[in-house]
Amino acid sequence: MTQNEWLAVAPFLIVSGLALLIIVVDLIWPKRPVIVTGAAVVGLVAAMIVTVAAGPIAGLNSQLPLTGQPVFGGVYIQDQLTVFLDLLFMAIALLTILFAPDYLEPRGLPMAEFTATLLFAISGAMLLAGAQDLLILFIGLELLVLPGYMLAGFAKRDGLSTEGAIKYFLLGSFSSAILLFGLAFVFGYTGTTSINGIAKALISFSNGAVIPVGLAMGLALLVAGTAFKIAAVPFHYWTPDAYQGSPTPVTGYLSVGPKVAAFALLLRLFVEALGPIRADWGLIMGVLAAITMTVGNLAALGQDNIKRMLAYSSIAHTGYIMVGLTVFAEASDPEIQAAGIQGVLFYAVAYTFMNLGAFACVAALQRRPGVTSQISTFAGLGRRAPLLGITMTLFLLSLVGIPPTAGFFGKAVIVISAVQGGGWLTVLAVILMLNAAAAAFYYLRVVVAMYMREAPDNARPVVIGALTRVGLVIAAGATIAIGLLPMITSAMLDWTMDAARSLLLGA
Amino acid sequence: MISLAGVPILSLIIFAPLVGALILALMPGENVRAVKAVALGTALVTFALSIVAVLGFHIGDPGFQYQETVSWIPFFGIQYQVGMDGISLLLVVLTTLLSWISILASFAPIKTRVKEYMIAFLALEVGMLGVFLALDLFLFYIFWEIVLVPMYLIIGIWGGPNRIYATIKFVLYTLVGSLLMLVAILATAFAYQSATGSWEGAFNLLTLQKFGFDTTLQLLCFVAFFLAFAIKVPMWPFHTWLPDAHVEAPTAGSVILAGVMLKLGGYGFIRFALPLYPQAAHDLAGIIIVLSLIAIVYGAIVAIVQPDLKKLVAYSSVSHMGFVTLGIFVFTQQGLQGAIVQMVTHGIITGALFLCVGVIYERTHDRTIANMGGLASRTPVYAAIFGFFMFASVGLPGLAGFVGEFLVLVGTFLSSPLAAGVAALAMVFGGVYLLWMFQRVVFGEPSEFLLKLGHHLTDIDRVEVLTLAPLFVLAIVIGVYPAIVLDFIQAPVHDILGQLSAPVTGAIP
Repeated sequence: MTQNEWLAVAPFLIVSGLALLIIVVDLIWPKRPVIVTGAAVVGLVAAMIVTVAAGPIAGLNSQLPLTGQPVFGGVYIQDQLTVFLDLLFMAIALLTILFAPDYLEPRGLPMAEFTATLLFAISGAMLLAGAQDLLILFIGLELLVLPGYMLAGFAKRDGLSTEGAIKYFLLGSFSSAILLFGLAFVFGYTGTTSINGIAKALISFSNGAVIPVGLAMGLALLVAGTAFKIAAVPFHYWTPDAYQGSPTPVTGYLSVGPKVAAFALLLRLFVEALGPIRADWGLIMGVLAAITMTVGNLAALGQDNIKRMLAYSSIAHTGYIMVGLTVFAEASDPEIQAAGIQGVLFYAVAYTFMNLGAFACVAALQRRPGVTSQISTFAGLGRRAPLLGITMTLFLLSLVGIPPTAGFFGKAVIVISAVQGGGWLTVLAVILMLNAAAAAFYYLRVVVAMYMREAPDNARPVVIGALTRVGLVIAAGATIAIGLLPMITSAMLDWTMDAARSLLLGA
Repeated sequence: MISLAGVPILSLIIFAPLVGALILALMPGENVRAVKAVALGTALVTFALSIVAVLGFHIGDPGFQYQETVSWIPFFGIQYQVGMDGISLLLVVLTTLLSWISILASFAPIKTRVKEYMIAFLALEVGMLGVFLALDLFLFYIFWEIVLVPMYLIIGIWGGPNRIYATIKFVLYTLVGSLLMLVAILATAFAYQSATGSWEGAFNLLTLQKFGFDTTLQLLCFVAFFLAFAIKVPMWPFHTWLPDAHVEAPTAGSVILAGVMLKLGGYGFIRFALPLYPQAAHDLAGIIIVLSLIAIVYGAIVAIVQPDLKKLVAYSSVSHMGFVTLGIFVFTQQGLQGAIVQMVTHGIITGALFLCVGVIYERTHDRTIANMGGLASRTPVYAAIFGFFMFASVGLPGLAGFVGEFLVLVGTFLSSPLAAGVAALAMVFGGVYLLWMFQRVVFGEPSEFLLKLGHHLTDIDRVEVLTLAPLFVLAIVIGVYPAIVLDFIQAPVHDILGQLSAPVTGAIP
């Protein structure tokens, strides 16, 4: 292996090595959550530093300003997009590990297994992020989702958790199979598994020529398979059950990690490989986006269980992000295409912090076993636990899209790209905004419960662990900083644009 | 006249309440006296700063004064840009004045979570001032949305029994309008960017209003802006959130809601919708004039039958704000001047009326008109003050309420005598509902309900007089010598109408 190859896969190797290390540590010193959590946090921070540093060393910024160099015979690449996504995935893992102990320990669920499983999943996401070959892409995907099924059923004595995990596993396996079938069709038509090779083979269709039936079949299967993974309507039915049943920190992770990773898959597969035939999937993506956000929000309106409500709301957010992909597919100007991808990435960052934060607040509240996630549990929380009340309000306002929060800028960046696209994309932007207004209703119900209803007399005090506190402050800090501090907002806009351009230049 | 060269006076005004809110956030909440002192002090300092800005203002100079521009999000050419002309000056002073009055008026009624209440109130002031001073569309939108959250909390936490329904309705109505406005803002900015090839100045009001947008874009964006502003004003038929919000809001919340927040809509029309989309404004003016007339008549008629004092004043606001939109969209000098004066005087008079209702509510915990009667004999001072503001609201010549409505009628007559006739007729209803209400509440024998209260029914106290005194003085001064406000708006009104009369269209194919 050359130096560049080592550097390109270093973040992936560190994270998967860390997972193995934690298993070994747990064998030597069993049931020492402090050591496990400490090792995971230190390891992840180290991996993040390596990820940031590896780029310049490998010549990412000097010779090829935006695109990296494919390594291992062109199956993996550490470009700006990979760096961006890797850091995001590690941030997700880090926050999840900070939030988990408060929920898992009182229920006697093992921390070490949880951490190791989570890290394996994240390493899968990182493999997927830089994949330049369909097989690597699929291996990354499976490495991502298999630990996810285990995590969903982590509370194995809890019937709901097991039920959700089985649904998640069955539908997830089906969708993986459908996706694989679609990949086979694409391979059949192009004769290559290389993402760049596929793009080259399909370039003759980029002028709008009708694609052959077999390729169209493959495209349909790929759309269905990925729609399952990102939980787009009408392939979303597993989401509410899986999210409600899972232990709450796992739900937080499931709503963010696999979703962002599935969007990474969409970027590599649909944008980079199938970009030349984007005219054939743009419309269906747009229609799915509109249906997904509307159905997600309408279903969320009637939920009394916060985890279920946030599950449906996460479906709606999937729809918002899909608007960015639609802009890429439908716009003809490369700058506007890049703006669409930028919207996807920017929203992914905002969504990560605000959604993980919101689930962390639910998890913190449920520290004592037996506390439900019904909305009534939140009554009077603003006075009983001011930190939880304020941070939860912040996350919810960000999910609504009220400035100055990250969620507001996320929506603004997506809408501005859609408006640039013009035509029916503007209609899509209007649908998005009307959805955001409707969504305010159910998000604000939680704020109403926290601040405008009195706590029941038998309410016990809420105790928040130190790690959760740190995690909440990080998530809330990021949510507000991306929205409020001009330097951070601008840096995030530039960074997401660079990542988007690196993807499009590579394509 | 004082010189304020080099002093970022507008930023000081906008962010002074924020500093106060941060200080409050760090203070212990148990010391209620200190919390109240800091909140009132902050509001008074902000008021003083706005007076300083008035003293340094060059009356008659065209354009915006005290401009500050800082690059904010260079990626999209978004700037932190603020500036003040005569219109924003009047509304800023109205805001800072009503804010400290409201905070003072909250001292007695607000007994729970005082610290949080004061923080919300100061945050609200930041948002309102920002809206009146922003010259960058994106910045304007951010302040516009920031206003929403504190008001939502003020109604929802410190409001009446049905507060949650009212506050959610308020938020959803406002949000639907404002989110569509965001799409329109971004579309406008992009239209500019695609024509000039650069994001530089794409959100800058001063650049954009010189740029003629194509008619379709104007029409669509104007409709989006119209929806946002019409809900805020509120124009018929978008007004249904207002009575609910007013009835449930605490007294000071109602004062700010009626006194300042409704003006955000009117100001939005004048500052953003007209200069950016003059062609669309012309095309749709007829519909808006009809809607305004309906609002004037409908608000007045519905007010007659209201059993609740606050609801009555709320519907009277619908009627009075109808004059504002009417005056704006007849596109005459007198009409626009009248609309602006009406915004200021409505803020003063209706703010005062809500304070008066608050005074009686504090003592009786009731606002039902049927339960009142004979207040004149039990609380003579209060009855006199209440009567004064009632007459000011009716539009008695010599008091502030007359000036705006008269100018709007004159301006409307120049453009459409029929519309002026309908509006003038509606002013009669204005007399009916207020005078009849006043008669039932103040005159006659004291009612059973009030007699039962016995010595609890005290006359207006010193703090309450203090909150009403500045409004009392202003209602007379503006009524007798309207030039005190008209001088400020002469130049900007001329500018705005100048842009409207020469709409440039078709610069973008």
